[in-house]
Amino acid sequence: MSMENNTGTPVLELRNIEKAFSGSTVLRDISVTVNRGNVVSIIGPSGSGKSTLLRCASFLETADGGDILYDGDYAMRGGRYAEKNRLREFRSRFGLVFQNFNLFPHYSVLRNIAEPPVLRGVPKEKAEEKALQLLQKMGLSGRENAYPYQLSGGQQQRVAIARALALEPEILYFDEPTSALDPELTGEVLKVIRQLAEEKMTMVIVTHEMAFAKAVSEWVVFMDGGVIVEEGPPDLVLENPEMERTRQFLTNYQK
Amino acid sequence: MSFLSMVLKMSEGLSKTCAIFFLTLLFSLPLGMLVALMRMSKNRFLSGITRGIISVLRGTPLMLQLLAVTYGPYYLFGFSVSRNKLIPVVIAFAINYAAYFAEIYRGGIESIPKGQYEAAEVLGYSRFKTFMRIILPQVVKRIMPSITNEVVTLVKDTSIAFTVSYQEMFTIGKQIANSQTSFMPFVVAGLFYFAFNALVDFVMGRAEKRLNYYR
Repeated sequence: MSMENNTGTPVLELRNIEKAFSGSTVLRDISVTVNRGNVVSIIGPSGSGKSTLLRCASFLETADGGDILYDGDYAMRGGRYAEKNRLREFRSRFGLVFQNFNLFPHYSVLRNIAEPPVLRGVPKEKAEEKALQLLQKMGLSGRENAYPYQLSGGQQQRVAIARALALEPEILYFDEPTSALDPELTGEVLKVIRQLAEEKMTMVIVTHEMAFAKAVSEWVVFMDGGVIVEEGPPDLVLENPEMERTRQFLTNYQK
Repeated sequence: MSFLSMVLKMSEGLSKTCAIFFLTLLFSLPLGMLVALMRMSKNRFLSGITRGIISVLRGTPLMLQLLAVTYGPYYLFGFSVSRNKLIPVVIAFAINYAAYFAEIYRGGIESIPKGQYEAAEVLGYSRFKTFMRIILPQVVKRIMPSITNEVVTLVKDTSIAFTVSYQEMFTIGKQIANSQTSFMPFVVAGLFYFAFNALVDFVMGRAEKRLNYYR
């Protein structure tokens, strides 16, 4: 992947996203742009809409209004999604790592990672070879024949990351990737994400790990009550926030 | 009549008992899935109707349903479904068991976490592939104990076919019991069912074990 060549071009553009669940507004006029090779972290209290935003970008939730663009192509325009087949194609451009991993329990680690590319037409041997490479990168060499229940949470999440990477997405989303893990296991997952950031993987990370967000992100978005309260480079937003609400959140967090 | 000839005579009916058993499973297992999918349909009319049908099938005796399928057409339209009683018996059994299986399937399908569907969707699985490859295998594992329950019950329920005089094992046993004024045929029948179910337990236990490679 030659990502360095066109740093600065937007991979994902969310414009004026609106979303309500049975009458109550969850997202109000949210616009976020993620440039190639950048890491954007979204922070904020529970219920602020940050996960919903990721779920809208990955079509798991249906936004009510706004535009979603991948590489300048409209996946949604003015609240209207592209047709089914188009969306399927758009899905191959991003990967999503869930809080609860959502590995397929009846598949071996290898099949979890290799089957999706095979369904998209990659020859089986090639997909498995790639899966083994990714496992090695995740520090999980030799676990390809294990089943998810035989792995720790941290290992399962790394398999989930490998599974997302196997489809060679242009952008990778993380929805609180360490929130379901024992504290002592978060490190191994964060390390892998950090490594991806160093390789200039484009990523959006919803997280509660402030130190981590500060270390890996080019841009931090603070959301509360369905709106973006403040955004900017991490040393500004996380160290010297302008808004009182951001300051309050960060202080509460450090307690 | 000697004990041995009694056993031999009754075991002649065993092939018909087995026919009811296997044919009922053959038809009701897939039919149950169809009914479950209809029951879970987003179309409220379809799911409502299906719910009503399931409710009737589970809420009335199988014996009554068997009588209705076997003799109903004659009283209503003046013809019988078939002179071969196996056909109405299997129809009644398959429909009745499909209703039970449908509810078991539904419970299994609804117990699969939403995250499995979402992961499959994001990874590009079509809806059909998601169901066949991701959801169904997990459902099968979860519902195995309930299915075993129903299968065991079915073995014993085959005896209900005596009400329409289908010559399966229990019907023959009952006839011998009447003509010989002996209780022995019922003991033999009990032993037959128990042995049959021991086999069912063994087979289903093996199947469950085979699915134990994951949790």
